[in-house]
Amino acid sequence: MEEHKWPEKYPIEGKRGRKYGTVAGMSVAPMVKAVIGSSVEAQKEGKDIAYSFIECNYEEILRAMDIVPVWTENYAGICGAKRDAQRFLERAESLNFSRSLCTYALCGLGFDEWREELGEMPPDAPWGGQARPKVMLSSGQLICDPRNKWYQAAQQFQPDVPIYNLTGLYPAYEDDVGLHEVEGYYAKYMTDDLRGLVKFLEEYFHKKMDWDRLWETLKLSDDTTDLHVECRELRKAIPTPMDTGDAMNCMVPQAFLMGTQEAYNFYRDLRDELKYKVEHKLGVIEDEKYRLIWAGGLPSWFALTDFNYFWSKGAVFPVESTYNEQVYPVRELDLPKTGDPLEYLAWRYIRRWTYWYDKAKKRPGSEPDVERTINYIEQYDIDGIVVHEAFSCRSWHVGLIWMLNQIAKIYKPIPVLILGKGKTKEGVYRELPSLILESDIVDISSYSEADTRARIDAFIDTLETARSRGG
Amino acid sequence: MLRESAGGGGLAAVDKYYQDYGLRARELKGQGKKVIGYLCALTPVEIIAAAGLVPFRIKGDVNEPVTRADTQMETIVCPLVRSCFDGLLKGKYEFLDGLVVPHACDSITRSYSTIKYSLGLPYSHFVNTPHTTKDISKEFFKAELATFRGSLAKFAGKEISDESLAQAIKLYNENKAKVRELYKLRRSDPPLISGAEVSRVLIAAMSLPVGESIKLISSVIKEVKQRSVSPARKSARVMVVGAQVDDIAFIKLAEDSGASVVVDSMCVGTRDYFFDVDVNQDPWDSMADYYLRKLNCPRTYREWAKGTYEDDLEARFSEIGTFVREFKVDGVILYILKYCDPFGFEVPARMKYIQSLNTPVLYLEDEYMIASTGRLRTRIQAFLEMLTK
Repeated sequence: MEEHKWPEKYPIEGKRGRKYGTVAGMSVAPMVKAVIGSSVEAQKEGKDIAYSFIECNYEEILRAMDIVPVWTENYAGICGAKRDAQRFLERAESLNFSRSLCTYALCGLGFDEWREELGEMPPDAPWGGQARPKVMLSSGQLICDPRNKWYQAAQQFQPDVPIYNLTGLYPAYEDDVGLHEVEGYYAKYMTDDLRGLVKFLEEYFHKKMDWDRLWETLKLSDDTTDLHVECRELRKAIPTPMDTGDAMNCMVPQAFLMGTQEAYNFYRDLRDELKYKVEHKLGVIEDEKYRLIWAGGLPSWFALTDFNYFWSKGAVFPVESTYNEQVYPVRELDLPKTGDPLEYLAWRYIRRWTYWYDKAKKRPGSEPDVERTINYIEQYDIDGIVVHEAFSCRSWHVGLIWMLNQIAKIYKPIPVLILGKGKTKEGVYRELPSLILESDIVDISSYSEADTRARIDAFIDTLETARSRGG
Repeated sequence: MLRESAGGGGLAAVDKYYQDYGLRARELKGQGKKVIGYLCALTPVEIIAAAGLVPFRIKGDVNEPVTRADTQMETIVCPLVRSCFDGLLKGKYEFLDGLVVPHACDSITRSYSTIKYSLGLPYSHFVNTPHTTKDISKEFFKAELATFRGSLAKFAGKEISDESLAQAIKLYNENKAKVRELYKLRRSDPPLISGAEVSRVLIAAMSLPVGESIKLISSVIKEVKQRSVSPARKSARVMVVGAQVDDIAFIKLAEDSGASVVVDSMCVGTRDYFFDVDVNQDPWDSMADYYLRKLNCPRTYREWAKGTYEDDLEARFSEIGTFVREFKVDGVILYILKYCDPFGFEVPARMKYIQSLNTPVLYLEDEYMIASTGRLRTRIQAFLEMLTK
């Protein structure tokens, strides 16, 4: 096979060891560092700071009101990635928080308690530390108890910091009740609650919402999502120009910087790069043997190099469901017309979370998560499924076994129609092996590199066997 | 009059319904009734009863190792939910016609699809309870209850009228009043009825239609009042605070270790039974109010009360303080199941509040299975020793 000739525009090879990543992705780490650094600076300058969760439908509101978000889960992820979370986890445990709880939250609570005790950042806090907030914005979501309870628990260290708990409900997927029968009152609830949030922020920070600016921010944010979707679509190419290991970095602007020009520019550059690579057939790895889907679970932030191990075996991930839950273009959501940006936000949120509902209804036994995975399997020409079960998170890591079973039940063996000799259609079937990795998002004590890699080896063998059987 | 399977009522009937949990529901199913299984105290059972259906609370089994459930559900799910699911898969509740699951916690919510598809029951529904108690949350919740009403009526083949709901609320309130009456028998020192006995009564009763539950509890009250000697010895008076304890094993363990469990703040217990649904307003309004605001489970976020952090704790946990005083509690055991996020995040706050009452507290995290008994016994004994010093 001819060796890749990397263009000068994308001089990846040899730089920072990121042979397989995108050039755009290389800017993410400094970007995150800058986001965290600027929030620490904002604290020093007395600016308005809010503890926040990503994808909770208030990002654009914060941008439009010049409130600095501190993404607490992600700071814990950074502590995990830097393998410096244990001291904060242990501190939380010593306060009687069970180690079985969400380790993002435990890391954050341990950090906060320490910072409040010292009156300054804990020693050698990763990337300057987590800024002290003036308000905390909880999220009463359909799934994720910690987002509902974490900040309330943090109030024992910082009782002067008030909370606004914004709803994050969307309709459950039901057989007996249609989505469109109920989504109206869900949207009204969210709109009303968003109005409550804006009022809370206006009163607390003594500033008024600039509604025109909010609309502009929403427009920029929607355009950014469109670019992000384009990037995802480009990854369908064979060989794929970008995989999940990179996507776990490249989700940062979508998650941390939504509604900013910086995020828009990032995905524009990434899109251009991917286009170029697709046109020139420049893949993540040279010999793409297996195409996998990361079909559920957050990654172990301290072990992202496991993706390198997959690459070394000829396996790539052209697509993942993680961090794609809300990445759908507005034009596909058929949002009701409204002049109220908060109503727009409410409908956009609900329609994104329920994006797969109508499609799932058409396939007996399917459900939204199952349907999304099946669609990705078909669209991205997938050979196997990988999920990660993080012990401390029931939000994203429960239901994965069921999903795999359900896919096997309603979708396996996967029919593949090929053109046979004489251009006749021949039906063949292929198996779709799956792998469940077990560890955590932050707590490295749950991780065994040897065990993980042994599982990956066995999985690769299974993929090979399936292929040799005609899969 | 109690049904045949209850025999003469009282504690003998309780024992029968406890040992063969689901006995009465099975009988009713045989008589052509439709039985709806549900998980968690957040399920609006009054609506199920008002539809002419039999609500039946699914429980776990601390003595039965989870085996089949583990092939379909992650082991990071709350062990109680896993145990319930395991029982369902093993055919323990084969008489169910439907399933109602409330938006309680992540373990329950995320398991809904798994349970629904595994059982393949003719009816299933998820009631999406909001997380906050704001007025707009209540307004939303009323709409959600109306959706449930329509869905259930379709399955039951009959409308659920306001009158039938009001009647069901009245019956359930009567049931709650009976439980409160039963708890009064625990105030004496030593109490006239042991904690394990009370748990057994409540667990047996939750498997019955509410009318039969009232009669069963009444018969127990009558029997216990006739006791001349308490079954318990005078010992440290302990309160158990926790999520759902649907087996007597833990309470019995505490009492076998030398405690006298005189009150609780848990399900199945005061959390389910000590507050009524208001009968003086529109029944749907009352239902929304009760399940959102009165049923005090940590899965529902309560707005910060005015004042200090201590004032906020008082507003969130005051019923614990009330019980400590009313039942003359010497010490509290905070009994939390592993992987329980709603309670887990509140442990330090709850401990701080209980300590502020000058009441010692022991925090135990458990895995629901009887296998953990030995470890827990040692900790409880040490705690009791400290209490009685």
